[in-house]
Amino acid sequence: MSQTRREQMVLARSTGVSRRHLLAGTAAALATASMPIVWPRRASAAGKVVLRTIGGAYEEAVVKAIVEPFTKATGIEVVKVPATLGKLLAMFESGNIELDVVDAGELGMISLSQKGALEKINYKGWKLANPDDMDPFIRRDDMVGDIYFSSVLGYNTQAFPTGKQPRSWAEFWDLKKFVGPRMLADLASGNIDLEFALLADGVPKDKLYPLDIERGFKSLDRVRPAIRKFWDTGALSAQMLADKEVVLGSIWNGRLQAVADKGAPLAIEWNEASLQSQYWGVLKGAKNAENAHRFIDFACQPEPQANLAKLIPYGPTNRQAFKSIPADVAARLPSSPEHKARAFLQNGKWWADNRAKVSERWSQWLLQKG
Amino acid sequence: MNADGSALVTAPTMVAADRRETRRYLLLLLPALLTLGTFFVYPLFGILLRSVYKNGYTLESYRQIVRTSVYLTVIALTFRTAAVVTLIALLLGYPLAYVLATVRPRLARVLVVIVVLPFLTSIIVRTYAWMVLLGRNGVVNQYLVALGLTQAPLPLLYNQAGVVVGMTYVLLPFMVLTLASVMRGIDPALVRAAHSLGASRWQAFRRVFLPLSAPGIAGGTLLVFILSLGFFITPALMGGPSDVMIAMLIEREVEFTLNWSFASALGVILLALTLIGFAVYYRLMRLERLFEGLG
Repeated sequence: MSQTRREQMVLARSTGVSRRHLLAGTAAALATASMPIVWPRRASAAGKVVLRTIGGAYEEAVVKAIVEPFTKATGIEVVKVPATLGKLLAMFESGNIELDVVDAGELGMISLSQKGALEKINYKGWKLANPDDMDPFIRRDDMVGDIYFSSVLGYNTQAFPTGKQPRSWAEFWDLKKFVGPRMLADLASGNIDLEFALLADGVPKDKLYPLDIERGFKSLDRVRPAIRKFWDTGALSAQMLADKEVVLGSIWNGRLQAVADKGAPLAIEWNEASLQSQYWGVLKGAKNAENAHRFIDFACQPEPQANLAKLIPYGPTNRQAFKSIPADVAARLPSSPEHKARAFLQNGKWWADNRAKVSERWSQWLLQKG
Repeated sequence: MNADGSALVTAPTMVAADRRETRRYLLLLLPALLTLGTFFVYPLFGILLRSVYKNGYTLESYRQIVRTSVYLTVIALTFRTAAVVTLIALLLGYPLAYVLATVRPRLARVLVVIVVLPFLTSIIVRTYAWMVLLGRNGVVNQYLVALGLTQAPLPLLYNQAGVVVGMTYVLLPFMVLTLASVMRGIDPALVRAAHSLGASRWQAFRRVFLPLSAPGIAGGTLLVFILSLGFFITPALMGGPSDVMIAMLIEREVEFTLNWSFASALGVILLALTLIGFAVYYRLMRLERLFEGLG
């Protein structure tokens, strides 16, 4: 036994690269890959607030429109930390809350709320924004809306020149009239496109909820042959449309706009868009709760909201914000009066209550055909 | 890997000096054992506990797994994909490892750096790079069409093939490094001896080098197979609709349905099946030789 080992060591030395070298190299590489994302920084005198971010073009816009002006005005340092919903809940359950402000979609926020992980929003303590200006739909007990975004029908204008694009989900489902590979959302993106499937099957916009799950999947059966991929992240959906992997697909309006603004031949059909809301909230047990409430108060003012909308086409939740948004910017927002009238409002509560059922049915459906 | 530790303990011809040495070895093992115990075994028990606990002790999560065929089908698919990836990684990795183990030291050092280099980039970035290469209008398809080799772009991405390519690429270094470390321990004189006794190059390889490199094959395939089972990012990004792997379902239970008891149960089943597979493999490949090689 030891004989072999000695031989190995001798040989290793003679070839110049020992196993230890290899291991050390690998270890160093792994250490680099898993470097902690939060680097300890000196807190300023005014303290700090830790914000959960979700990345992408949206995060860049939030930093410019809200985070930087907030720090400038208050001296409070904002530390950005990416965290998934699962991680947020794990923090809450273990009592080790490393985050103060959460920014998450309706479904995620309802999940946190149902587990009792959110503090009440301190509307009475607001000094900057006026709670009465907030859209009543998103003004809730333990969360307050920050943006409206839409899941829309995106199309490639080289495949379908504007005017000849599918005008509804029923037309999107028409594989003969509109030929070409498509994409729809995977459950990992937050929800699958059951609403679109039901609209395509003839369910009227105002009678969608509660969703008829089986009817939705039957409808998905019909479009599946043309689906190249169900996208699970906003980045993937944008890349697939931009690379012409697909010529039609459901996609978040801001993601499409970001690549279209860079010159990709893409456009939005706003009809039957799924209008969704996103929220600020404060985690229960947050270490910097007071700063967190100040941050949300600041962020809900018309001015930062309008500035955000100029940077990324997500709609404001403070009704006063539209006053300082130029007409050409407003025309691109999912919550502009014109777009809102043609959209339907997604019911996050339904998704929160039915996700286990939908999840299992979704796996079944994915596996049943190749 | 404490098998060599216990092998030492049970060695029949043990004298007092050996015993002292053994104790010293165990002491050296202690930090690793403590770390593993605290950060691996203890949380694992937590997961085991969580899988049978949901507002009280219950086997509900396990019943849910067997109630429909979905989960077991996905696990079977996962094992199949892992097996394919392991086989391809072995076929690609073996010649590369052979070169790595037998070339001049300076060249070997350069090659090792090249093999390890991909680790310096995030797996997501590398996966996206593959998507750019393999897409319908990607680099590979553009060349194939331009050269007239195919009329229409080939479906290289968003299917099983895409998953296998992506995973093999990520896991290949593990195979190569494991194989090369064993091959480097093979005395070249043995192959030369075979030649001098009249063996052809092929015979010398097949009868001498290949059997001696078997522990490397066993170790490399085991490592790649087990790592494959937990793959998640690559199949999620490069696979088609029906290329579901078990880690993707577990992630969904953790992040989306928030049913952590069920996620734990899926994890426990996966671990149990992996251990059974390991036991069978251990028997078949006589893996104890692997540990001898390392000891």
